[in-house]
Amino acid sequence: MSWRVSAAIIRHEFRIMLKDPSTILFILFMPLVMTALMKPLYQSALSARGVSGATGAEQAVPGMAVAFAAFGVGFSGFAFFREHGWGTWERLRASAATSADIMTGKLVPAFSLTLIQMAALLALGVPLFGFAVAGSVLGLAAVVVAVTLALTAFGMTVTAISRTSQQLNALGSLGSMLFGIIGGAFVPVAFMPAWARAIAPATPTYWAMRGFRSVTLDAGGLGSVALPVVVLLGMAALFGAIAAMKFRFEETRIYFG
Amino acid sequence: MLVVRDLRKTYGTTIALAGVDVDAAPGEVVALLGPNGAGKTTLVSIIAGLRRADSGSVTVGDVDALAHPQRARELLGLAPQDLGIYPIVSVVQNLRLFGEIAGLRRRELDQRITDVAAALSLDGLLGRLAGTLSGGEKRRLHTAIALLHRPRLLLLDEATTGADVATRGDLLGVVRRLADDGAAVVYSTHYMEEVASLRARVTILDHGTVIAKGPLDQLLAAHASAFVEMVFDGPVPAVLLGDGVTVEGSTVRLPTADPGHSAAAALATIGADASRLRALEIVEPNLESVYVTLTGRRYSENAPEDADVMAS
Repeated sequence: MSWRVSAAIIRHEFRIMLKDPSTILFILFMPLVMTALMKPLYQSALSARGVSGATGAEQAVPGMAVAFAAFGVGFSGFAFFREHGWGTWERLRASAATSADIMTGKLVPAFSLTLIQMAALLALGVPLFGFAVAGSVLGLAAVVVAVTLALTAFGMTVTAISRTSQQLNALGSLGSMLFGIIGGAFVPVAFMPAWARAIAPATPTYWAMRGFRSVTLDAGGLGSVALPVVVLLGMAALFGAIAAMKFRFEETRIYFG
Repeated sequence: MLVVRDLRKTYGTTIALAGVDVDAAPGEVVALLGPNGAGKTTLVSIIAGLRRADSGSVTVGDVDALAHPQRARELLGLAPQDLGIYPIVSVVQNLRLFGEIAGLRRRELDQRITDVAAALSLDGLLGRLAGTLSGGEKRRLHTAIALLHRPRLLLLDEATTGADVATRGDLLGVVRRLADDGAAVVYSTHYMEEVASLRARVTILDHGTVIAKGPLDQLLAAHASAFVEMVFDGPVPAVLLGDGVTVEGSTVRLPTADPGHSAAAALATIGADASRLRALEIVEPNLESVYVTLTGRRYSENAPEDADVMAS
């Protein structure tokens, strides 16, 4: 593997992303709109649960950030599928770039985009919605990085098992919707039915929201997010392992449109 | 530079390559000829490390390309059969990406881009989005990406398919110059006339087997003869059948040393069947007639899988 080659592919991926910024605008501005709409609702809900002094931003800001980060899982997959659509996948494979170079070149931009998106939404949440981190900011950052890793790895798993861009779209949307809803990004887990509460811990969003709650409402320190971060990193490793087993460089993937 | 020995590949029950030997020395253009399904693309893909062979050996330079495909890829450039460019970035950004991957840096990369753009008439298009280029311009960019880093082995899979006359001329000129500079070139094509302009050594593939190879003049001397081809509405008149005559459906091919005389004689012989004659063509000795001699079939992009009858 060559870092220069990986860097060339990374630069190229960012260039392509910036050529069509509609996706970036969607994952940045839609969550802000949703946060503005949902914050009063969450404030009422948290008050009804006996959480005093809650503004609703504690749920709305990280919840929308995580939910829309989950929507981004398909974006990393499209970085692979469009190569097939443009006929450039075989060119890359026949070049001096190793498989590791290509993977790094594709996944680093996807990871970075999600990371920047979450960081930007959390930062904007402070002046716009009164989002406050009463506990460890470092803990908050650790949760952001860990959930971004888990979601990027999940995106790679979905990519590995999809044969067409339609499958990627369907599986990615299904996964991100389930993660957002079941994991408590849209509705706090405490308000969900018992069966949903039982399966919520299987989603990365659940652990991310638990970590965010620890450093906001519960004013926890770095140690308070240890369990969520470890679980998220474990999920990242699991998804990454599945992706590594299932992904075939020589496989032809069908890209629609 | 390239040595392929007894290369075999099957897809399920379909035999794509049935023990192929190919050599390409530095400075040499090897033209791979053969109809669709002959195994050309499979062969090129295996050499480039894109597909696995069932058995055999491929050596690129001094690298065992089947055991170490990554090392082999560092020595070669590939222009696949299907167009492969990034349409939403500029021409120069397409070239820059693959140049950087090949290890070119700064001034050297800039110089190579300038050189290849000039050679393929892309110099006025470097800032254009690749997706807005014409078909011929895209084909030039597609090929330019493969030869930007001046590979020691260049693999071009039907590089001129769909190209206009000017683009074809540019591409063939650049390929020949690259070979003159010492590269080995494997050039898969359907166009027999390109072989002569490239001064290529010929390898003819048919059903995954090399049925002939060598310099063009030697192949013509060994296998080519003129023939008269007649196409009838309905069965071929029995009076035309004889030694060396090939029948394929309603088409008959009569090998001859004197095609004009043979055509006249055939017309006189068929009598009333002349009313069913739909076409008559005299084919002079060339690669087409080599192919007919070796396979009993005309060479075409959509050649039938099997000749119907070999009359005797």
